[in-house]
Amino acid sequence: MGDVSDRIGRPTDNGQIGIIDPDCRLIGLHLYDGLFKVIPIDSKGQLKEAFNIRLEELQVLDIKFLYGCSKPTIAVLFQDNRDARHVKTYEVLLKEKDFADGPWVQNNLDNGAGLLIPVPLPLGGVIIIGEQTIVYYNGFVFKAISIQPAITRAYGRVDADGSRYLLSDLTGMLHLLVITHEKDRVTGLKVERLGETSAASTISYLDNAVVYVGSSYGDSQLIKLNLQPDSKGSYVEVLESFVNLGPIVDFCVVDLERQGQGQVVTCSGAFKDGTLRIVRNGIGINEQASAELPGIKGMWSLRASSKDVYDTFLVVTFISETRILAINAEDELEETEIEGFDSDAQTLFCQNVLHDQLIQVTASSLRLVDAISRRQLNEWRAPPGLSINVAAASSSQVLLATGGGHLVYIEIGQRELIEVKHVKLEYEISCLDINPVGEDPDRSYLAVVGMWTDITARIFSLPNLELLTKHSLGGEIIPRSVLFCTFEGIPYLLCALGDGHLFNFILDVNTGQLSDRKKVSLGTQPITLRTFRSKNATHVFAASDRPTVIYSSNRKLLYSNVNLKEVNYMCPFNSASFPDSLAIGKEGELTIGTIDDIQKLHIRTVPLNEHARRIAHQEATRTFAICSAKYIPTVEDMETHFVRLLDDQTFENIASFQLDAYENGCSIISCSFTDDNNVYYCVGTGYAIPEESEPNKGRILVFLVEDGKLQLVAEKETKGAVYNLNAFNGKLLAAINHKIHLYKWTLRDDGTRELQSECGHHGHILALFVQSRGDFIVMGDLMKSISLLIYKPEEGAIEECARDYNANWMSAVEILDDDIYLGAENSFNLFTVRKNSDAATDEERSKLEVVGEYHLGEFVNRFRHGSLVMRLPDSETSQIPTVIFGTVNGVIGVIASLPQEQYMFLHKLQQNLVKVIKGVGGLSHEQWRSFSNERKTVDAKNFLDGDLIESFLDLSRSRMEEISTAMSVPVEELCKRVEELTRLH
Amino acid sequence: MWQMVGRRETGRLPPHKFRALLQKTRLYSIELAGHKEIASAHKSGVNSLQQIDATEARYLLSGAADGSVAVYDIEQATAYDHSTRTSKHEALFMVDKRVLNGHLYSVSCVHWYPIDTGIFVTGSFDNFVNVWDTNTTQVELQFNMSKKVYSLSMSTLATTHMLIATGTDDTRIRLCDIASGAFTHTLSGHRDSVWVVQWSTRSEWVLVSGGCDGAIRFWDIRRAGCYQILDQQCSQIGRRPPVLKKSSRTHGREDNLCTKYLNASSPIRQRGQKRSFGISAVDSRTAHYGSVAGLQMTADGLHMISAGTDSRLRLWDVESGCNTLVNYPSTYIRGNKGIQMAVTPDSSLVFTPSLNAILVYDVWSGHSYSSLRGHYDQVNCCAFHPQGQELYTGSNDRKILVWAPRRPIDIDNFDYEDAEQAIKADEDAWSD
Repeated sequence: MGDVSDRIGRPTDNGQIGIIDPDCRLIGLHLYDGLFKVIPIDSKGQLKEAFNIRLEELQVLDIKFLYGCSKPTIAVLFQDNRDARHVKTYEVLLKEKDFADGPWVQNNLDNGAGLLIPVPLPLGGVIIIGEQTIVYYNGFVFKAISIQPAITRAYGRVDADGSRYLLSDLTGMLHLLVITHEKDRVTGLKVERLGETSAASTISYLDNAVVYVGSSYGDSQLIKLNLQPDSKGSYVEVLESFVNLGPIVDFCVVDLERQGQGQVVTCSGAFKDGTLRIVRNGIGINEQASAELPGIKGMWSLRASSKDVYDTFLVVTFISETRILAINAEDELEETEIEGFDSDAQTLFCQNVLHDQLIQVTASSLRLVDAISRRQLNEWRAPPGLSINVAAASSSQVLLATGGGHLVYIEIGQRELIEVKHVKLEYEISCLDINPVGEDPDRSYLAVVGMWTDITARIFSLPNLELLTKHSLGGEIIPRSVLFCTFEGIPYLLCALGDGHLFNFILDVNTGQLSDRKKVSLGTQPITLRTFRSKNATHVFAASDRPTVIYSSNRKLLYSNVNLKEVNYMCPFNSASFPDSLAIGKEGELTIGTIDDIQKLHIRTVPLNEHARRIAHQEATRTFAICSAKYIPTVEDMETHFVRLLDDQTFENIASFQLDAYENGCSIISCSFTDDNNVYYCVGTGYAIPEESEPNKGRILVFLVEDGKLQLVAEKETKGAVYNLNAFNGKLLAAINHKIHLYKWTLRDDGTRELQSECGHHGHILALFVQSRGDFIVMGDLMKSISLLIYKPEEGAIEECARDYNANWMSAVEILDDDIYLGAENSFNLFTVRKNSDAATDEERSKLEVVGEYHLGEFVNRFRHGSLVMRLPDSETSQIPTVIFGTVNGVIGVIASLPQEQYMFLHKLQQNLVKVIKGVGGLSHEQWRSFSNERKTVDAKNFLDGDLIESFLDLSRSRMEEISTAMSVPVEELCKRVEELTRLH
Repeated sequence: MWQMVGRRETGRLPPHKFRALLQKTRLYSIELAGHKEIASAHKSGVNSLQQIDATEARYLLSGAADGSVAVYDIEQATAYDHSTRTSKHEALFMVDKRVLNGHLYSVSCVHWYPIDTGIFVTGSFDNFVNVWDTNTTQVELQFNMSKKVYSLSMSTLATTHMLIATGTDDTRIRLCDIASGAFTHTLSGHRDSVWVVQWSTRSEWVLVSGGCDGAIRFWDIRRAGCYQILDQQCSQIGRRPPVLKKSSRTHGREDNLCTKYLNASSPIRQRGQKRSFGISAVDSRTAHYGSVAGLQMTADGLHMISAGTDSRLRLWDVESGCNTLVNYPSTYIRGNKGIQMAVTPDSSLVFTPSLNAILVYDVWSGHSYSSLRGHYDQVNCCAFHPQGQELYTGSNDRKILVWAPRRPIDIDNFDYEDAEQAIKADEDAWSD
């Protein structure tokens, strides 16, 4: 391993190039203008010391190694001072550390030539892809073909002999390029159009006409190329799509369901692949039916006979009665009866068991009922003076606990109940379970019992009820629910406490031993655990004030919250009319609904077929407004821009407003003004005339949503593009080119309204990003970092109070609190600055002090306050403010402002983690996270890497202990603190 | 602009390219800045300007013919004129002959200490090189060069030495060590006065000098003697030596000089054996007919631009020592001392003082973009501020002018009059 960066050098404008000689003699890198770095590879495959070779070509567009050359040979596609493009070849002389002129040169190519494809032997040579021509050349044979104008961005080789290639252009059109040849002699080129895919960034031909198209502008796709075209003439069939949120150009955080949980709506994709994506955290329940039913104490579903696929009955129990619901012919829930059941008592448990029988457990007895005739077959009565408290059953066994610590084990036979064993424990039993986790699905050989008083979980063997393991849970909170279950073939014991904590253990089925104890906190109220199946996998539903689904992925237990406020009871209810549903008992309500796919984030896609640039949400009218551009692929760079109004539930386009020719929508907000009760959409635009480098005309349009229409209420012409709009104390703050303007909303004599300029501030290069808070304005300049401005209402003026003197090229800003402002800059870094209002000198006061620096490695386009998780009012984490960011690569991230004490703690943890967790390829974490741009590189400060800290939970117990010793903090405490952190996103 | 921002947002335009493109477009519109004015504290012509790049890029250092040296804060204005919207930058302090050991005669060169702004170095025609403490504005150290000092340079790369290279009216170049206060090296080779010295921007050991004998010499201070003399006739750039004829390389030194010499890591491989040829015609190679008046390396150290009193600019490929034969038309360079040129960090443009104007050329094609006119007397020096993309120029008319990318003056209804005044004031500012 080594570092190939040079201390001095100008990074290439056209991106870094890294190529490997087809015969593995060397690696070539073009990192800095004028230099070609060579890493020789010796015959044993070892890398030798790298060296630079002077490359005279200044504007290099592409470099590729040629096939079949005795010395490693590169072909260089470059542009000269007169903007003409040429290809030149060089032989790399490893011994002399220099170039020698290569076998051929091809001058004056297509002006749009941008891609070289080396052709393998036996043909050799290169294909040069231009915008209008494709050329094949190998020094002797020159073949050219003209094509429809297209900017080709990606290619993929189909055959190993290199006679066919797939090409994809910016519009996503896929072409097949064929080199026709007679033996080794190339006779011509042929291009055939195949069909449309996402605009590709990479193309990999897999096999059997299946191709992976990787896209950075739309969803990546797995496609199949058919031999025959479909009705539209396309040979492309999309087999599978892989969600890609990038590039996130803008987004907003909204709470559409009004449940206190934010969702992110992003403007994703570019060009024709433009979409809106609704990103939601947690698992959603899609409500199918609901009924008011107060006082539910438990629910179970029953099948009418063991042969049935679907559940028929839903047993709902209340404090002193049990009701049985069934779905009637009209798909409605209707009350019915099972004769053999005791309907005047609370049911503790019921289930289908062997031999087409049902069992019902009440406080006084256990009843065995025939499923067909629904008559009682047998009954086991609790001893007099003792009532049954808890019960659990498998298909052939029942375990009961009565008051006084009696544990009774009963086996179910045909029409009979056999009491097999009875033990008395020293304390009362709080919960138990005998869910079979072994090989036999009908019979369990283990039972788990949760105890009062000594707060233990005990494992007994069945049928003889011998104590195998006693595990103390510690603390004073009794276990309220225990459950055996198997995830991905691993048996677990879950044990939930009365305060919302959950233990999980790995269970040894044979010996009943518990290992790998882990504790997490799911909520604050007692938890009831239930298993259910969805998409052929078992999951566990933990009903509490913060309902959670527990599932396993890659042998790791994951906890995903469900988007419901509070759930008391849950049972799976897979009926004919509501397949794969869950019955959920909430406070005063019974709901039947289906559950989303079990995963953490849910993404819904709304295709627009045009490129959304800006988005805003209006609560009052329940609409979104977007600024979008529609590209017409046939005409170069011709686009029409719209303001569109979408419904915030259906995402249907309700109304559109077409902007003028060349007019672009640059910013949009929803705001209201002083002395006016209406809520408006304000849109800032700019006229981008191709010849002008800087738009010098724009408009601010004020729309009112009325009857689902966009009414243009007022418009104001500006002397530049309106890059940013902000609602500012009942006025409108606009950033127009290098100026900041404040507009007030005035009433004209004729009763109409207009925007009137009140004051401004200038002296910026380009005021791209503006945020406001009170009278303070935080501005991110194109190239001059962050400035803080203040509006002085008495003087009616905006003045600069402080600025950051670093020359950061900004990409987004946000106000974290009154004194701290967050910025993202051009070289993928984040930084924070602090206002120094208490400083002694004017000089210091006028300076925003840089307090935090961090390399994110992502280009941030937008910050927004908000959170993706449900905020519980009483939890500690809800006090921590968070900011969400969206990046070009489609990353959504969360930045949380931690309290000092927590920061110090986690910082220490991070330092210890870095020592234990090694980066991929041994790369240093510290170096990667160092703030680094063209001017300086400094260590990260006052930022923590949340991903790294959370990886603590994935560590093995021994490594956790290693860290715990280093920090002298118990592992449990560390886990708890880190879990708190995970609760933020 | 909006389109470029949009392309950056979607990732079509990589951020670093966005930055480069924008800087370039802005540079092409450079003109006399209406919004910034530097109140020159000097009573005679400004000979040398320097900005500090390493830490803050905020303080401008200027040296003038009356022996005075001044420092300006170019970020924070001392006064702001609301009617003309110009920020005025007055000198933070000025030192002249009244200060103990201050320069008596013309200050020919100024230089910030590359690490921070705590120290600056000046050279003067009174034969002294002074090392100043910025905080106390006192001379901390003096070197008596016993000849007029024309030029001095400190390496921005140096991590192991603190040497001031000086070019004087003597043929020898001497290196002064700030740490010890003594001369550490004397480099002989030039046959006339040395007007310009500059450290390489690629290796901390390499020094380049240009003399009145028309020669440009490269020195590696770890070895004796100069290892390369540029020859204006050697212009076969891009021609690689035929591989098979490698063996014949030892014959002609002509060939050797035109092939690669300087590798970033080891600038002077195989040099020892070549020294043994002794003094020959090689020593009389010239880069210019006339004196070499200015030298400026590009930021990546791969190319160098030289100016000569033959009124030519030449672009050199440093590694091969070849003259690239780029023609920069219509320069006029005469005079009896060196000039200070400036190259943008992306090596796209070069600024050259030429009589009363500053000429702007494309480095690679020699295409003349504009000539910046505003000074009333000969321009001596330019300094380029890379972050703000501003050019600072000093001239014999005692002024320091600021040139910046054009800012559109928007004339909105409410500040129409202001803007009007601004334009007028702009015109006024010219004619004093």
